[in-house]
Amino acid sequence: MRTGRRRFVTRKVVFAAVTVFVVVTFNFFLFRVLPGDPAVGGLRDPRLSPERVAALQERFGLNDPVFVNLEGGNLLESQYFAYLGALAHGDLGTSYAFRDQPVSNLLGTALVNTVWLVLPAQVISIVAGVGLGLFAAYRRGTKVDVGALSFSLIMWSLPTFFLGIVLLFIGANWVGLPTAGRVTIGALYDTTWDQLVDIARHLLLPTATLALVLLGEYMLIMRSSVVDVLSEDYILTAKAEGLSTSRIISRHALRNALLPIVTLIALNLGFTVSGAIQVETVFSWPGLGQLTVSAVNQRDFPVLQGAFLLLAISVVLANLVVEIIYSWLDPRVSEA
Amino acid sequence: MRRSGIALLIGVVMVLSACTSGESSTTTSEADGAGTTDGGSSAGGTVRIGWGGSPDSLNPGNAVLAEAYTLYELIYDTPIGLDLDGNYVPELASDWSVSDDGLMWTMTIVDNAVFHDGTPLTSEDVKFSLELWRDNEDFPFLPSYPDVFTIEAPDPTTVVLSTEEAIGNFESRMVFMYIVPKHIWEGETDPVAFDNVNMIGTGSFSMLEYRQGEFVRLAANEDYWAGVPNVDEVIFQTIENPDARVTALRNGDVDMITEMPNTAISTLESDSNVEVVIGDPLAPGLSDIFFNMVPEELCPPEDGVCSGHPALRDLQVRTALAHSIDKQQLIDVALLGLGEPGISLVPSGLGDWYNSSLPDYAFDLDAANQILDDAGYLDSDGDGVRECREEQDCDDLTFRINYPNDSDTAPREMELVSGWWSEIGVASTIQPLDPDTLTSVCCPTFDFDVIRWGWGTDPDPGFLLGATLCSEIDSGFSETGYCNDDYDALYDAQAVETDPETRREMIWEMQEILLRDLPYIIPYYDQAVQAYRVDTFTGWMTGASKVALEDPSSLNVVRPAG
Repeated sequence: MRTGRRRFVTRKVVFAAVTVFVVVTFNFFLFRVLPGDPAVGGLRDPRLSPERVAALQERFGLNDPVFVNLEGGNLLESQYFAYLGALAHGDLGTSYAFRDQPVSNLLGTALVNTVWLVLPAQVISIVAGVGLGLFAAYRRGTKVDVGALSFSLIMWSLPTFFLGIVLLFIGANWVGLPTAGRVTIGALYDTTWDQLVDIARHLLLPTATLALVLLGEYMLIMRSSVVDVLSEDYILTAKAEGLSTSRIISRHALRNALLPIVTLIALNLGFTVSGAIQVETVFSWPGLGQLTVSAVNQRDFPVLQGAFLLLAISVVLANLVVEIIYSWLDPRVSEA
Repeated sequence: MRRSGIALLIGVVMVLSACTSGESSTTTSEADGAGTTDGGSSAGGTVRIGWGGSPDSLNPGNAVLAEAYTLYELIYDTPIGLDLDGNYVPELASDWSVSDDGLMWTMTIVDNAVFHDGTPLTSEDVKFSLELWRDNEDFPFLPSYPDVFTIEAPDPTTVVLSTEEAIGNFESRMVFMYIVPKHIWEGETDPVAFDNVNMIGTGSFSMLEYRQGEFVRLAANEDYWAGVPNVDEVIFQTIENPDARVTALRNGDVDMITEMPNTAISTLESDSNVEVVIGDPLAPGLSDIFFNMVPEELCPPEDGVCSGHPALRDLQVRTALAHSIDKQQLIDVALLGLGEPGISLVPSGLGDWYNSSLPDYAFDLDAANQILDDAGYLDSDGDGVRECREEQDCDDLTFRINYPNDSDTAPREMELVSGWWSEIGVASTIQPLDPDTLTSVCCPTFDFDVIRWGWGTDPDPGFLLGATLCSEIDSGFSETGYCNDDYDALYDAQAVETDPETRREMIWEMQEILLRDLPYIIPYYDQAVQAYRVDTFTGWMTGASKVALEDPSSLNVVRPAG
């Protein structure tokens, strides 16, 4: 059994590594199919002489063959292998749009900002969504259930930017919350408490937007999962034994009902690094979503490749973790 | 550059001077520079500004976005500035003059400018900076400006620039030449890779804190040579969402916003704490409708497809089309009234270079119909569309219209235009295209009939007037294929004319020729809209023809209200 799981884990890790490599290669070529010359970005200026465009292309290495060098000399002297070589050294290259910025700096800053926003939202929505789903299932068929279900469905289907704008107007106009940014810029705080309050005030609206949208999904899955479990025979047996409903749920139903939620949480966490594009845009949050959008507009291939690599790695990693957790929770998985 | 909508990449085409002293003659003013009030900074305070973007680089050579140039104008000085009325004014160069043969320009550099790190600025820094921008070919914009000069610094306050041919636009070549400290930059072996986070300059503000995509904090330069700003600090905060930006202003989170949607104007105008300012943008821009009129014999041999409708080469047809566009209605409907009817390729925001004497083609569908009748374009089969003349290689007057799909207003504009044209028996098929695709059908391929697009301009009119030269047909700069030897001769003459008045007359005549020959119809010139709170700071520069409250001309002088 133990060697079986080790083999299972090894196989999954190798598979994940291959997936990441394929994604890296796919992205590299995908972006180069986009029309336009990345050396000049979206910029068309007649004063950019052919010599200067050539100089820019030279700087970015865009004059080399894309995949393999068929023009004589070393086959591997191409943009693709140069990219792979640099990547192996952890070098993501230099941004085309922010011409003096290494991609790793840009991504690092944006990643921190995104996690700052998304993590609290995830925690709140998981706790609240799971709790609400459980409660609704427990009170299945009552007005409470119908109310919670309707609320979740509405939140889940609302366009994020719309909810964001509505909350922005309510929060900014009626509650006096800030409209943008992560902190009050240039503020000097008397105490750490003041600083925390300032951060919380800025986080409130974007976090609430994101949490409300995510909450609906967690609630719906949790509720249906608990309802399923509650109709199982062993629950009926527990009832027949005369256990109280709360004891049945906490001891017998909850663990089994949590399985789909584990999957959902891991997948959502994996996608965290893609940033919450719409929330980031509404609340001017300088995260990964925003960086990716601007990179697409400016044909900033190195930043796009870096962002997609980050996304691929985290999604693959999240899947890997789920599968390994599952192999523990349910040994049948690793034997399949 | 061809401009497709947002504040995207208007970069170098924009300018401003750190000089707030408005009117001054070109060559003789004293270096009193900014006419700030008292030189003290006792009033203090922090001005908060909301803008939609963020600088793309702190290194002046690398930048493309307008936000970056806004910072440079505050942190650096240039030899010559451009005020908000379009006049060149002294900045680091207290005066400048040209030799009689027009080949040598001498600038006198002020002796009291000091870099933010305490090092005095000398002509060596000026020479170094000009050569830095000139010699690094992989800087996108700046090399175009000093490229014709050989630069010498014979003594600490003199810079001499020599050219092989006389140039008529010397001043405009100096307004983007940010002077950086030689002692910091000379150690950089690859200036393009230099991120310049400290931004040491001589300007009225110095860099305090910067977070890409988030905010910029600037501190008033207490030792500014031309007068210390009244406020202590300026903060630019990125607020991408336009509605959030407007809300931030109304709530007092910010004191001024540099851009806003036209739809918010009436809301803000009804707010007693807010003032809305409308005028020419810092980088004047225009929208244009242009015709493919490249003659067969000039079709670019390598790239040319030249599939343009033959009737568009007929001036009578273009004249009729020009009579069939109601520019004011187009502005009212598509831009909610926020535009200025255009007439020539030189926008009104370019000050005296704009030929204000030209009468436009009146909106007159009857006259247009008459012109086409007289020219022999008749609707002989009664389908509502006029037929081509017999000798022309076409069936009827059906034109393809293209516009860039990233423009918010072009769809409505071209629906209107197409409606008017249908009333004079001209049919059209409208197709929006991605800007890259539009470039590929435009020029130098000439695979289109009519395109609606636009330009952001350089401070010098010579730039855009170059788009109608015969010699630019092959290069792709010419969008129309227009070719007129008289026009080209005038262009060559103005390029080497160092007397501003003579040059202005030539520039005016060129605009007149273009209006008569109609390669372009200019529906409107762009207008900028900004807004500020009246209860927090006062002294914003609102009286000039251009609106740019983020410019040193405002930020050097604003002070707390009350």
